[in-house]
Amino acid sequence: MIPRLADRRMVVCCGAGGVGKTTLSAAIGLGLARKGSRVAVVTIDPARRLATALGMADLSDEPQRVDHPAVGAGELWALQLDAKATFDRLVARHAPDEAARERIIHNRIYRHLSGAVAGSQEYMAVERLHELVDEGSYDRIVLDTPPAQNALDFLDAPQRITRFIEGKALRLLVRPGLSGAGAGWRVLHLGSSTILSILERVTGGQMLRDVSEFLAGFDGMYQGFADRAQAVRAMLASPESAFVVISAPGSAPLRQAMALGDRLQADGLPLVGAVLNRVHPLPPGGAPGPRPLLEALVAAGAADPADLASRMARTVADEQVIALRDLDAHEALRAALPDLPLTTVPALDDEPADIGGLAAVADALEA
Amino acid sequence: MSAAAVPPLLDRRLVFVLGKGGAGKTTVSAAMGLHAAARGLKTLVIEVASQHRMTEMFGVRAAEERHRDVEVELAPGLWTISIDPEHATEEYLATQLKVRPVVEMLTRSRAFTNFAQAAPGLAELVTLGKTWSLAVALKPGSSTPVWDRLIVDLPATGHGIALLETAQNIEELAGGGPIKDQAERIRQVVSHPGATGIAVVARPEELSVTEGLEAVRSLRDNGLPVASAVLNGMSPARFEAGDEPALSALAASEHGPVATAARLSLRQIEGSRHDQAQLGRLRDESGLPVTILPQLVRRNMGTAGLEMLAAEFGAPA
Repeated sequence: MIPRLADRRMVVCCGAGGVGKTTLSAAIGLGLARKGSRVAVVTIDPARRLATALGMADLSDEPQRVDHPAVGAGELWALQLDAKATFDRLVARHAPDEAARERIIHNRIYRHLSGAVAGSQEYMAVERLHELVDEGSYDRIVLDTPPAQNALDFLDAPQRITRFIEGKALRLLVRPGLSGAGAGWRVLHLGSSTILSILERVTGGQMLRDVSEFLAGFDGMYQGFADRAQAVRAMLASPESAFVVISAPGSAPLRQAMALGDRLQADGLPLVGAVLNRVHPLPPGGAPGPRPLLEALVAAGAADPADLASRMARTVADEQVIALRDLDAHEALRAALPDLPLTTVPALDDEPADIGGLAAVADALEA
Repeated sequence: MSAAAVPPLLDRRLVFVLGKGGAGKTTVSAAMGLHAAARGLKTLVIEVASQHRMTEMFGVRAAEERHRDVEVELAPGLWTISIDPEHATEEYLATQLKVRPVVEMLTRSRAFTNFAQAAPGLAELVTLGKTWSLAVALKPGSSTPVWDRLIVDLPATGHGIALLETAQNIEELAGGGPIKDQAERIRQVVSHPGATGIAVVARPEELSVTEGLEAVRSLRDNGLPVASAVLNGMSPARFEAGDEPALSALAASEHGPVATAARLSLRQIEGSRHDQAQLGRLRDESGLPVTILPQLVRRNMGTAGLEMLAAEFGAPA
């Protein structure tokens, strides 16, 4: 996988939740840094997983350097996405003046939108990627993607939120003839149109007033947002970007990986490969013969050799079943995305707890 | 509130299943559902955001599945429904506005659809609202509820918590009006420890347990009724400490399959200890009763696998 990312500036790791995206993003970052690049890894991670793996107590929204001999010739920087801080900066960038910025930042709808709401994290992840590209301090940026219900949400979020901010929806409801932003459109006059009064019956007046104030706050800034969403999209579609689909054995993550692969290809986004993580190898040499096993246990002085032998045999048999299950997963993924290079990463007993463990994952990704 | 004052998880009518992505929420929801149905309770497993994984797990390809938001029978007494937020929004508007043509005018408007898709919390509210309406639905002409048990397979931790908290948030955000009233009614049911219980699912892995414990704290801080934890995929305690010297000797001196078997067995011991340690963390730091689901060694989960897990919910925690 890592050799295929040699000439890419932006690497986006996507896949279902729980497949090890964060760890693999960090390992890809480490793999690229070892080759001499200056790499930033953006992680989206409420449990601060990457922080643990990188031996950093606290990851902030600003990149921090990972100082470890395993990084080798290059530099590895890591940061934790802070969706709200990123959104605040985006507003500050596009607001015409300080007063406009304050109006938005303190609006109740905005505070809700920029924090918890599904979709804003996904949008801000790509926005942060764009900021880092603009900043120009890094040769490469690796983006871990947020834990969405559906891995595809990540691709749709920017457009959804831009549409909401654009407020075309409510504008049309309020004054069907109004064209363009900033044409004296202020707070909604509640009750001035049929549909609006219907909506008010559902939401109540306060919520509609907040929404209208929110949209009024963005009046005149919409173009900036739309341009930015366009630029982000163009950046992701450019040959400087690379998408990596990550899965683990299991029907749910596999199905999401397949859907994601199809969708990325259909959208013309630069999908370069898939990774099947946590693959158990078949035990080498197969199961031991009952007699040699028993004899060896007797020779080793086991208390109840026959009993221990049967428990050992069961352990090997379990391992074989799990390995076959993982082979099935590998075949299914290969069949679903036949033209896509597929890399496997062996299962670890637990997530890497230090940079040495991460380096072992990076080694597997060299294939 | 003391643990003794509230009913155990599966004695509550509405159960929410929460956990990190990949923790096995869907499997756990299905197994809990099978267990409740086997006790003679008419049970509905609710999926959000049109996942349709439950029908896939049970190999059900019912004709009704083509319709959105229709209950499908998975096994005797066990049903599922997959809530599609768009459809639930239409349904919600229909109950609020009562005039069908008005609802259609709204939902056919592209402008409204754009608004509804991104309006903060709307998809979450209608999803929770639909869950609530299923929970309070009565059989026609009687005061008996349609469903004895409802089990909600939530999205991954962050989004799952956001969904559970959406009623509180909207209540604050809406100020006044029908949405606020609706949010308040929903919140009262969702936060009632006699009616509702949240089960936090984790795998016996450091980060999965950590995320589960963080979720427990966050839910408690928000007054939401966390009732139980589930540790999914526990390795069996197959070996004893006395087995180790012989296994180590074989791993060091033998070659081929015998040495491999010894090494795998030693790793199994390590894995089992590791899982026990994570169980201890989950139990001690959450203070919750923990249901332990064993790691299933199967090429496919299948309904037989689900039934094995379902039996664990009958075992004393």
